Amino acid sequence: MEPIAKKWYDQLAQGVIMATKCKDCGAYTFPPLTVCRECSSRNVEWVKISGKGKLVMFSSSILPAKKFAHLAPIAYGLVKLEEGPCFFTKIEGVKCSTPEEIRKENELLPAEVKAEIQKAEGVNIVVFRKK
Amino acid sequence: MSKRASIIGVGATKFGNILETPELKDKTFQEIVAEAAFEAMDDAGISPSEIDAFIVGNMLSHTTQIYSHATLLGDWLGLRLKGGFHFDTACSTTNTGLGIAWQMVMSGKYKNVLIVAGEITSSAPKGTFPLEREAIDASTLWEWTDFGVDHVYAYHHFYDVASAYGAFPTIGYMKKNKISSEEMDKVMCAVNKTVRRHSAVNPKAILYEKGTLEEEAKREGFSSVEDYWKSAKNPFFAWPTRLFSALNTADGATAIIVSSEPEKYAKNKPVDITGFHWTVSNFPWYGEDATDFPQDRIAFKEAFKMAGIKPADLDYLYVHDCMQIYQLILPEVAGYIPEGQAWKYALNGDFAFDGKKPLNVSGGRHGGGHAFEASAGFETYEIVKQMRGEAKGRQITPLPKIAAQHNHGYGMHTAVTVLKAAD
Repeated sequence: MEPIAKKWYDQLAQGVIMATKCKDCGAYTFPPLTVCRECSSRNVEWVKISGKGKLVMFSSSILPAKKFAHLAPIAYGLVKLEEGPCFFTKIEGVKCSTPEEIRKENELLPAEVKAEIQKAEGVNIVVFRKK
Repeated sequence: MSKRASIIGVGATKFGNILETPELKDKTFQEIVAEAAFEAMDDAGISPSEIDAFIVGNMLSHTTQIYSHATLLGDWLGLRLKGGFHFDTACSTTNTGLGIAWQMVMSGKYKNVLIVAGEITSSAPKGTFPLEREAIDASTLWEWTDFGVDHVYAYHHFYDVASAYGAFPTIGYMKKNKISSEEMDKVMCAVNKTVRRHSAVNPKAILYEKGTLEEEAKREGFSSVEDYWKSAKNPFFAWPTRLFSALNTADGATAIIVSSEPEKYAKNKPVDITGFHWTVSNFPWYGEDATDFPQDRIAFKEAFKMAGIKPADLDYLYVHDCMQIYQLILPEVAGYIPEGQAWKYALNGDFAFDGKKPLNVSGGRHGGGHAFEASAGFETYEIVKQMRGEAKGRQITPLPKIAAQHNHGYGMHTAVTVLKAAD
């Protein structure tokens, strides 16, 4: 079995965002695992994702993870990818400095978002930006 | 093979802070665990020599500096040369232990099994000597706790427990039931009023000494509890979830003894384990509907099926309430409350011990406190005491006969166990 997570992160470093698509049930798994998350099949292929998604909701904690605390406030959201899976990550382009800002922004959702690769504390990750 | 697996004894320490709480202060991990175990043994009227095996829960090895827990605890529990092992499903551990003990005694291999767990969340040894401890801050505690969450992808994508486990399910519940954020804030205040009403009459609860929310509001100089709720004393942890809707971490230990021969230990009414089910799911636990954890639906359904009960048969329900939004979501998933109605029950105070649908009467993970792997045992303790009629000051009447206990183990293991008071 080839390394899965390393391949995915290495591809992010090359500017490419990949998922796996199940050849049996057709479901996408994002980020990739060793199997299809829907049907557990190992019969999957690597595919590029569109990067398009829909921001369903977001918030911001007064106790972010220690690793990211110096970056607060951080908008953290639930994105429904065009390909199907839901993914949770940092959201750019929304106001989150006060609870009132978060409430008002959430009232405008869902909204279109686009994936981008960002380096966070030395790791290439996928974030989404609201248009 | 045996025909029955019954709880014959329960024990729990005070939930508090091992550096400060008089009942816990100056004790080692081994000692707090032994204290809970000895209460359970005395409660059952059983001696260590009659216990055949024991299983031990503990999550934060950073604070206990222990591996191979059973080995290190055997002597302290009076169980040297007995069978024992460490097991771990995070915050559902002691609930999972009920199912493991069920299998151990039903197989006929063991007659009496002790489930025990302890957790220290407030401090860690300065070096390696367990009696020289120093407090740890919330940020460090959560850094360690979040090792229970996917670290290949999720954690490095800004994983945020307050949003993922509190805010999003709350937003989801608001959306699903068309509740405004202002109304939801009132609902969550009502939930917390009942939580604090319960912890104020549970001497083992971490917030027992602080009394009710109303009493605390008055002490803090507020003319109404609602003003206190909306004040800077209770900020949004992650909008729309306020700080008081979240867990209070605690130190403590709990113990349960399961027997295939409860008639031999007839000191108290036995409580039978009649059904259980476990499910796991790595993050994310839900999709667009943040109130829908498939793992919970399956666990309730299968545990009820094994016990041969319907949701309507339940006299009492405990649901894991690290975030109090689960006091609204999960009773609906369990079928204890009709779909979309739990928030109305909360506003009416119906979840109180003297309400029409008692829920989480111990005070739960906010009022009772959250000593991670020991916490589920705190709830089994409550159910057993309620079924025996020993829950002074918070007794449900008539005495509950059938109860279900749900726990989430970070992140995320679901354990549901059905308990029935012996006839």
